[in-house]
Amino acid sequence: MGSRHDVVALTPLIELRDVSVAFGTTVALSRVSFDLFAGEVHVVAGENGAGKSTLIRVMAGALNRFEGRLLLDGHEVAFQSPAQATRAGIATIHQELSLVPSLSVEDNLALGMPGRPFALLDRRSTRARARRALERLSLAIDPETPVEDLPLAERQLVEIARALARDARVLVMDEPTSALSEPETVRLVALVRELVRAGTGVVYISHRLNEIEALADRISVLRDGERVLVAARKDLSREALLTAMLGQRPERAVSQEPGPDDAIRLAVSDLSGTRGAFRRLSFSIGAGKIVGIAGAEGSGASHLLRTLGGDLPAASGAVLLDGEAYAPNDPREALSRGVAFLASDRRASVLLNLSVRDNGMLSRRSRGALSLSDVAAERQALEPEAARLRLKAPSLEAPAGSLSGGNQQKVALLRCLTSAPRLLVLDDPARGVDLGAKADLFARLHDAARAGTSVVFHSSDLSELVEHADHVLVLFRGALVATFTRSELDVERLLAPVMGGVA
Amino acid sequence: MKAWVERPLGRALLPLFVVMVLGGLFHAGGAFFEWQTHRSILREIAVQGILACGATVVIVAGGIDLAVGSVLAVSAVSVALFSMHFGWAAPVALAAVLLIGAGTGALSGVLVALPRLQPFIVTLATMVFARGVAKELSGGQKISSYFQAADGSFVTVPLPPMFTLLDRRVLGDSVSVVTLIFLASALVTFVILERLRVGRYLYAVGGSFEAARLAGVPVRGTLIFAYALSGFFAAVAGVCQAAQETHGDPETGLGYELDAIAMVVLGGTSLAGGRGGIGLTLVGALTLGYLQKVLSLNAFSSEARLMLTGVILVLAVLFQRRLSAEKHA
Repeated sequence: MGSRHDVVALTPLIELRDVSVAFGTTVALSRVSFDLFAGEVHVVAGENGAGKSTLIRVMAGALNRFEGRLLLDGHEVAFQSPAQATRAGIATIHQELSLVPSLSVEDNLALGMPGRPFALLDRRSTRARARRALERLSLAIDPETPVEDLPLAERQLVEIARALARDARVLVMDEPTSALSEPETVRLVALVRELVRAGTGVVYISHRLNEIEALADRISVLRDGERVLVAARKDLSREALLTAMLGQRPERAVSQEPGPDDAIRLAVSDLSGTRGAFRRLSFSIGAGKIVGIAGAEGSGASHLLRTLGGDLPAASGAVLLDGEAYAPNDPREALSRGVAFLASDRRASVLLNLSVRDNGMLSRRSRGALSLSDVAAERQALEPEAARLRLKAPSLEAPAGSLSGGNQQKVALLRCLTSAPRLLVLDDPARGVDLGAKADLFARLHDAARAGTSVVFHSSDLSELVEHADHVLVLFRGALVATFTRSELDVERLLAPVMGGVA
Repeated sequence: MKAWVERPLGRALLPLFVVMVLGGLFHAGGAFFEWQTHRSILREIAVQGILACGATVVIVAGGIDLAVGSVLAVSAVSVALFSMHFGWAAPVALAAVLLIGAGTGALSGVLVALPRLQPFIVTLATMVFARGVAKELSGGQKISSYFQAADGSFVTVPLPPMFTLLDRRVLGDSVSVVTLIFLASALVTFVILERLRVGRYLYAVGGSFEAARLAGVPVRGTLIFAYALSGFFAAVAGVCQAAQETHGDPETGLGYELDAIAMVVLGGTSLAGGRGGIGLTLVGALTLGYLQKVLSLNAFSSEARLMLTGVILVLAVLFQRRLSAEKHA
C-alpha cells in the first residue's frame, strides 16, 4: 500500500499548515499541519473533543476564522462557505446526513449538481445522471425511491454517490461507518479502496481500529487539539496507535464475575415483531446478566430492542418480567415497570436543548407532573452518578447539546440509570463515541450488572459484544441463528452467522 | 460570566432599550416622562400579553395556537351573557368561562396530540370554529347591560361589580387591574415552565417529540396541557377585554393571536420550540407596547404605525439572530 505514494504527484491535493482555531478561550486546534495526496486514505484518529470535527470544518469551508494556511493543489485558498469548498472539489460526508429525506434519490443527487435555478427540470437527464452515479458504486437503488424509505446504510452510500456526481477529488468522511453494521462496513471499506485506486484522496475519520488498519495509508492522531502523531500505516503498531490516541489512561479491569444470582429477569417466548421484523424468538436474560444481540441491519436486532423497550408493540408471543406478564404500550409504561430504553439514534435519546440535569431527571419515575422540581436534591442525586460515568461537562446546568458526542451518550445512559431500572435495553449504546467514552460507558454497565440490573444491548461493532456480553444472540433476517456464551466468543466466530453463514 | 449580549435575555433587552432611548429623545413635549404614559402602555399590552403567556407555553412545546383571539371573543361574549343576561354570580360565571376557554384549548390539544395533526391547521380550524361560536352565542350582537329580556321588554341591568373592578386602577391610581392580571399570568407561566416538572416536559416535547417519548415523558398529556393552558389564558384575556369594553363583542380580539405571537418572537423565543421562556416574552411585550406608544406620541398615523411595526419586528429578530450567530461562529 505504501508504494502508492511513490508514484503520485508531490503536491498535496489539500494541505493545512500550522492551523490554529480557538472558540473563545477553548483551543480546538493548535498549530496542526495536515496533508492529503491523490490516491491515498489519510485517517484522522483521536478521541472526541480531540479536534477532528474542527479539522474537518476547516477543510470543508464551514469555518473560515482560523490562523494558519489552507492550500489546495499548492495554492492558498480562503473558503467563505461550504459551497465554495464543494465547488473546489472537496466533498464532506458528515455524520448527520445532509440528504433531504422527503425527496427521491435522483432529486437529491440533482441538488448537488450545477444548474440555473429557474431552468426547466430535465427529468430524463437527471435520472440518467443519477443512474450513472449509482452504478459507479454498484448500488441497486431505484432512483425514484424517497430517501426516507432507505435504510441508514444506503443513505450513506447515496451521499457518497452525490459527492462523486459532483466530481469530488477530496472526499472527507466523518465516521461514515458509525451507523453501519459489520457487512455494510465491509462494503463501504471496499468502496473507499475503489475510489482511492481511481485517484480520489480520502480523509477518513474513525474510531474503529479494524477499519483504520484496513483502510489507512497514513494515520494522523489528534489529541487535545494537537497532532501528536503522523505515520504511514505500515510503520505503526496497534499499541502505538492506541497510546497516541488515549495518552496515559489507567486500564479498566473487565469483570468476569457472574451476577449475584441466577434468577430469570426476562423470559421471552415465541415473540414476533410487527411487520415480520423478527419471528418466534425465545430466550431469557438472567438477573445481573449482560446479553448482547448481534445482527446486521435488517436482522431485526434493533426492532427486537425497540419492542422490549416499549417503543414498538409485539405482534405475538409473551414476555415475562420477573415472572409477571410484560407488554408495554409505550416507553413510559416500560419505565414504570423498570425497563429503561436507549434508542440508537442519539437525537432520539438525548434532548439537546435541555440541561444535563433535566435530561438526567426526565425518566425518573413516581413523581407527578405538577410537582415542584427540587434543584438541590436533583443535583445531589445526579452528581455521584455523573462522576461514575466520568461525564465531562462544564456543569450539570450545561445544555446537553454543548457536550461532545461521547458525553451526550453518557447523559442518555445517566437518564436511564436514574430511573432505577431492573432491565436496561440499549440499542447501540456506544455508537459513534470515542474509545475513552466507550470504556466509561461499558464500565458503568458492568457495575450496574454487578448490582443486579440486567442489560440487553445491540451493537453494530461486534468486538463490543465479544468484550462485554455474558451471552450473545445472533439474529439473521428475523430469526435466532446462533447463541454464544462468553467463553466461546470471538469476532470471527460471530461474523459468520451475522452475515448469514452457519455458526 | 458570559457577556450580556450572549444571553437570550440580553439580546431581547437590546431592542427594548433602543425603543426606550427613542422614546426619551422624541418625548413629545415630556409626555414620555409621565407615569401616566407608562401606565397606559402597561394597560394596553395587558390583554395581548395574557395571550402571549399561553403562546409562550405552546411555542416552547413546539406548537402554535392561532385560536386564542377567537377564544377570547367566546369568553368575552360568555362572561357578558352569564353575568348580565343570566344574572349568574361572578365566581360561577368566571369559573364557567375559564372552563370553556381551557376546554376549547384542550380540544385543539387533543387533535394535535392524538392524531398528530399539524398545530397550525388544527388551531386554524379552532380559530374559525370559535369565532362562529362567539357569533352564535351573541346572535351577532354586542352583549351589553341593555338587552331584551325573556318577556320581550327591554331592560338595563347594572354593570356587574366584576366588570368595574377589572376596569379599575389600584395602588393609588398607579396601575390598572388588568396589568396586574397580566403580571400574575406571567408569574403562573414562570412557575409552570421553570419550577414544575411539567415545565421540563414542555421543553422536552418541543426539543424533540420522539426523544421525549422514548424518555418516558407523557408527551400527549403534555401537549394537551399546553393548549388547554393557552385556552385558559385566552379566557382570562377575554374576561378582561369584556370588562374594559363593558360588553361582550363577538368581533373582538381579531388578530390578537398574531400580536401575542409577535410578542413571543420579539422576545427571542424560537418558533422551532424547545427554547425560550416567559421572561423573554415579557420583554417582547414591553418592546411592542413601547414601540406603539412612541410612534403614537409622535403622531404617526395608525397606518404608518402598522407598517413600521412590521419593519421593526423583522429588524429586531434579524438583529438578535446576528448576535446569537456571532456567538456560535
